Amino acid sequence: MLGNHRKQFWGLPWMFVFAISVLLIPSLTDTAYGKEAFAESVFAEEAFAKEVSAQEAEAAAEGEPEVEWSNDVFYKDWEGNPLKGIVSGYPAPELEDSDYNTYSFAPSRIIIWIANQQHLYFGSFVLAVPIFCMVIEFIGIRTRDSDPVLASKYDKLAHDLMKISLTAYSWTAILGGILLFTFITLFPGFFKYMAGIFRPVMHVYALMFLAESGVLYVYYYGWDRMSQDPFMKWVHCSLSVLLNLIGTVLMYLANSWATFMQAPGGIDEQGRFLGNIWHVIHSTLWNPVGVHRILGNIVFGGGIVGAYAAYHYLSAKTEEEKAHYDWVCYVAMFIAIFGLIPLPFAGYWLMKEVYAFRQQMGITLMGGIMAWLFIIQAVMIGLLFFGANSYLHNSMSRVAGAHRYMKYCKFMVLLLIVAFTMWMTPHTIVMTPAELKAMGGAQHPIVGHFGVMSAKNTAVNLMITCTILCFLLYQKANKKITVPWQTLGNCCIAAIFFWAAVNIIFLGVYGYFLPANQRVGLSVPQVSSTLTTLFAGTAINISMFKDSESYGEIKWGTQSKVGTYAIFMLAISFTWLMGLMGYIRSAVRLFWHVTEVVRDNSADAYTLTIGEAGKILTFNTLFVWVQFIIVFWVGSLTGKKAVEKKEAVPEGVPVPAQQQQ
Amino acid sequence: MNKTFISFLVFVGTLVGFHMGVFPIFTPKEPTWVINRYVYFLCIIATLIIVNIVLRLKPPISLNALVVWSLGFYFYKFILYPPIPWTLFITYMMLWSIGTFLFISQDEETFREFRKPIVKMIIGEYKLARIVVFAALPILVGFGTYKALIPKFQEPVELRTVHPAPPATTRVHGKTYTLETQKNPYRIDEQDKYQKSFPFLDADKQEYMKNVTEGGTVFFQNCHYCHGDQLNGLGMFSHVFNPTPANFVDPGTIAMLRESFLFWRVSKGGPGLPNESTPWSSAMPPWEEHLTTEQIWKVILFEYWYTGWHPRTFDDESSIVGVKE
Repeated sequence: MLGNHRKQFWGLPWMFVFAISVLLIPSLTDTAYGKEAFAESVFAEEAFAKEVSAQEAEAAAEGEPEVEWSNDVFYKDWEGNPLKGIVSGYPAPELEDSDYNTYSFAPSRIIIWIANQQHLYFGSFVLAVPIFCMVIEFIGIRTRDSDPVLASKYDKLAHDLMKISLTAYSWTAILGGILLFTFITLFPGFFKYMAGIFRPVMHVYALMFLAESGVLYVYYYGWDRMSQDPFMKWVHCSLSVLLNLIGTVLMYLANSWATFMQAPGGIDEQGRFLGNIWHVIHSTLWNPVGVHRILGNIVFGGGIVGAYAAYHYLSAKTEEEKAHYDWVCYVAMFIAIFGLIPLPFAGYWLMKEVYAFRQQMGITLMGGIMAWLFIIQAVMIGLLFFGANSYLHNSMSRVAGAHRYMKYCKFMVLLLIVAFTMWMTPHTIVMTPAELKAMGGAQHPIVGHFGVMSAKNTAVNLMITCTILCFLLYQKANKKITVPWQTLGNCCIAAIFFWAAVNIIFLGVYGYFLPANQRVGLSVPQVSSTLTTLFAGTAINISMFKDSESYGEIKWGTQSKVGTYAIFMLAISFTWLMGLMGYIRSAVRLFWHVTEVVRDNSADAYTLTIGEAGKILTFNTLFVWVQFIIVFWVGSLTGKKAVEKKEAVPEGVPVPAQQQQ
Repeated sequence: MNKTFISFLVFVGTLVGFHMGVFPIFTPKEPTWVINRYVYFLCIIATLIIVNIVLRLKPPISLNALVVWSLGFYFYKFILYPPIPWTLFITYMMLWSIGTFLFISQDEETFREFRKPIVKMIIGEYKLARIVVFAALPILVGFGTYKALIPKFQEPVELRTVHPAPPATTRVHGKTYTLETQKNPYRIDEQDKYQKSFPFLDADKQEYMKNVTEGGTVFFQNCHYCHGDQLNGLGMFSHVFNPTPANFVDPGTIAMLRESFLFWRVSKGGPGLPNESTPWSSAMPPWEEHLTTEQIWKVILFEYWYTGWHPRTFDDESSIVGVKE
């Protein structure tokens, strides 16, 4: 099958072997480390605890304990007793002034925040782009037979994105280096403790980075070669899967440091490592943070690519260029909105786990000192949904046949605003004493009911459902359905949305009559209703497109300016919101480096006021966008060169003899 | 006459007419399901729609936007009752303005139509409008500045955290309590399932009701002056306090909190609050100085029983193990 190209790909099997070996390294090191430290499997916690008790009793009988055992701060056995482990590390240090270094121009906490945030922004982008490329390349391969022109467009887009990602990748690594040096130089005491516990993870992380780079380079530089043969194209697409797998592992490994700092496990009360590296990695927030970040990365990446395309769309000089970038905007927005819809649910899961870890931490976030930042978050999320819907409405208007659905847009806007009004109503209203007296109490008798979670969940589910409905109408806009069951299909879609809305509202109202812990459980059927509209609605909708006729092609390149500006707003909102939520998640530790284990005794261990935090967030947003612009500019240099070269010597154009040199 | 102008007159006339003539009828001291201010608002909307349809006015999108925005303003300013605080009004109007913008900018055509009169006014096609707007704008800005700078004698608003994060432990009457795990010693069933039967007649629950009654006695001897005899925060002294005493009937107060949180708040009172909750502005005394531990737990039991709320509980997955005693 490879034919003449066989020799060109001799290195591929070795690359696969190498990549798979690298993937196996965590488990190998984990096992090796585990064998050294324990006599029992890491997962058999019950048996482990019993054995520990037996060994302790035996050791006590002999009077000479050989090893010291201690209780885990988080993990429990099946009976609810703290899990025991062999003390394998030093106690957490009591940090002093000498454990911190400072610069005179800015507090260390602010410097580390900025360094961390910039690295995370870029990390998020370079992890998101391969996901995009994987999806886009796959779609390109699948549409190759039916629409070769569109397939090559998809392929070119994925390739272009990867080109930008390559520059961003080096940039991310540099920012990572800066972050590491900032930690070592400004927080040496804290970093020493973290490195003591996470040293194997840090090494595996570095090796994974190597693997990521290797696969990335093969994936990018092998693009043209591997596109020539259908089989090799599939191999190439598989490489993107491998790239994403490694990227995800990388992100999860790095997450473990942050989640350990917020909700530690695998150590005792004194902060001593209990020998099980998996317990330290897999602390309680590890999974929700991981899922939330993957979705967040997709949304963020979509926003950036969308803004990049929107800029080119507005500055395009030819119709062809306009049409291309309009289409790229659409693809980026499609992916971003697809990630945006489940994102609140992942955030909800994360918050639930935070509450379960420490009620105190949950209250600090949702009702305490961070509560006003959550109000700002609510505003930003609302803006995202407004932006997404505005883009969809404007996009729909340029599709032939969309006039059938455009009349519903105003009602969807009304629903969005009403839902968002509920979502935005704070529980504690800022007011003057005179206003308080006029209102007759701290809670308003009508809008006061919107201040609790029952109302908020209802509102956000309705907003998402409305966005999904808008998306389905967009899909249908230029389709003339011809399947014989179209009436039935439309009725089914209408019924799904109607009953989902009824269920969401009913459960929201019912929640007021239930105890808090049962009320929390209502969010599951509410979310299920919303997701049913997404999956069942989309499935029925797409099934109806079979043999459908078209009212006309989508007029690419005619997107309205409002719709295009909505993309910029989305991108900036994503960036700001990501910084805000990252700050909230991290700042909730208050004066702890590692919650309740390593105290931050530096002069900077204070929580910023909302205004100051807002300024740093805005600085971070502006700073990262300046860098993105530079990266995009660097990425465009090669493109320009190629175009100029092509224009200078057009192929096949005869050159008059007198002009020949 | 220009249909757009007629439509504008219809809108202004309807609003003024309704506000001057019909509004007092729909705002009696004791509103009913039919005669109330919200029905009145629906009547305005219905009248506007019907008149426009009957007269076939078909107002342009710019006028529609003005009507939609103004109706939102009218609703939040005059209809929603009791009046909402200024901060909330601004928030709601911001949202309504965004909604109006989304309405006019849903496609290229509507947005162009909306901009048309504005552009014509700016380029001078609507000369009179340009003079009026450009004369009014600096006056409005000046008025806004004057309003912002004029000295006010109201105390400033402050961002206050009503339910601050509690400390990990609290020490009351010489004993340390871990709030994460502490439960009300007088509570028999966390979910109050016994309320399905009549607890006074339930032989097993007589002890529980005895404790509730004792808690009620403590409440009416000490707490109801501020928190009210219906526990709605409207006690006889409540109106002189800022912030007002907590309203336990509201779903956003004790219904969201654990009993251990209430134990901490009642024991330590206003002075025990962290800074973000402005301890200086709370008038609640630290009740540990006046009540026994048992009385505090019983009064909490009573508060939940009376209001019908259930204390917040979490699943068993909570990781903490209460070890301090």
